[in-house]
Amino acid sequence: MTDPSLAPSAAASLTGVGTEAGAPPRWYSHTYNRPTLYRLAASMAWLPRPARLAFARAVGQAARRLVPAERAVVRSTLEIMTGATGARLDELTAGVFRDFAMCFSDLVTTNRQPPRRLIAHVSQAQGAERLAGLTGGMISLTAHVGNWEMAGRLLAHRSARTTHVVVAEEEVRALERWVRRDGDGVRFVARTAPTVSLQLVAALRRGEVVAVQGDRALGTRGDTLVPFFGRPAPFPRGPFVLARALRVPLVPAFCMLGPDYRYSVTVPAPLTVEPGDEDDALRTWVGLLEATIRRHPTQWFNFFDIWNPLRA
Amino acid sequence: MDNDEILAAIKALLVERLKFDATRAAMVTPDTTLPKGIDGSLGLDSLDFIELAMGIEERCGVVVDEQEDLAPHFKSVGSLVDFIAARQVGR
Repeated sequence: MTDPSLAPSAAASLTGVGTEAGAPPRWYSHTYNRPTLYRLAASMAWLPRPARLAFARAVGQAARRLVPAERAVVRSTLEIMTGATGARLDELTAGVFRDFAMCFSDLVTTNRQPPRRLIAHVSQAQGAERLAGLTGGMISLTAHVGNWEMAGRLLAHRSARTTHVVVAEEEVRALERWVRRDGDGVRFVARTAPTVSLQLVAALRRGEVVAVQGDRALGTRGDTLVPFFGRPAPFPRGPFVLARALRVPLVPAFCMLGPDYRYSVTVPAPLTVEPGDEDDALRTWVGLLEATIRRHPTQWFNFFDIWNPLRA
Repeated sequence: MDNDEILAAIKALLVERLKFDATRAAMVTPDTTLPKGIDGSLGLDSLDFIELAMGIEERCGVVVDEQEDLAPHFKSVGSLVDFIAARQVGR
């Protein structure tokens, strides 16, 4: 949930979906995914947040000119997602880099505040009361939209249970201190081996929370093609298999930046997965994700072709 | 369950829950390694380990809820048999 890096842009052959043979996507190998940039962003923490976000917006506008391949992908993705063309499409494309820069700035500064102070940056928390009725283990399901890390930290605080955040193995080790900071009931679990799922099983059995991102295919047999804005895209099926096997609910959550620069947290109704219904539940989740992106198209922070993500 | 019974239960889980070929499952020994990425292993991925853990709970009555790292216990069939046997004794 804390991997805000841009994706690689090199295009080659599609390695395949639903197999174990293809090379996994390398989300973290972008040239600009450097500790220096994280340090620079974090060094702005002394600024009042309005000034810091204004600076981030300016940086975002400048940065988009440095990543032409990603800018092109963002543009074509937005064209599919919104149907916009011409000047409107240019405006939306610029908006993605602007909003990403602000959320990234918050990630390394605002998000580091204790949860009781984070709440001051939330304008509304729709559906958060649903968590009160969930007493056992549960799976928190988010995506790379808005400030997903803040959503995770707020929910971890609200649920008052240890939250195990599943993340890809970081290729740039020096970034871990910036993007994977344990604390406030949050513990990061890297997918370094197939046995990592046993840690998640055990955590759920203890009544704890597992947080996963449900929008990036892994290049494994668990990837499943689901219609996304009218086109098939691979999404990870693993969270739904885990929920079915452990009989725990999946709790979707989104944390989107509003025009007042405060966040609105939305917690839709939890999903339960009966045996054999994993694909149906996955489609429901993708539908929720699609609806969120339709409302906030400039806060979809996947800088790669989501319909063909395994090009490497 | 003694160790032979646990080994038989694991072989049955491989066929019933993980959809292994029965002939291949029958050739499994305590030395057989489990996770993919190890030469000669059964090549289990993260989804397989979820199914295996649930099957062990159902068939052997062992709840997988440890705080400790479980990976060493699930490295081979033999280590898994030992893990299950120890948990049964500890109940």
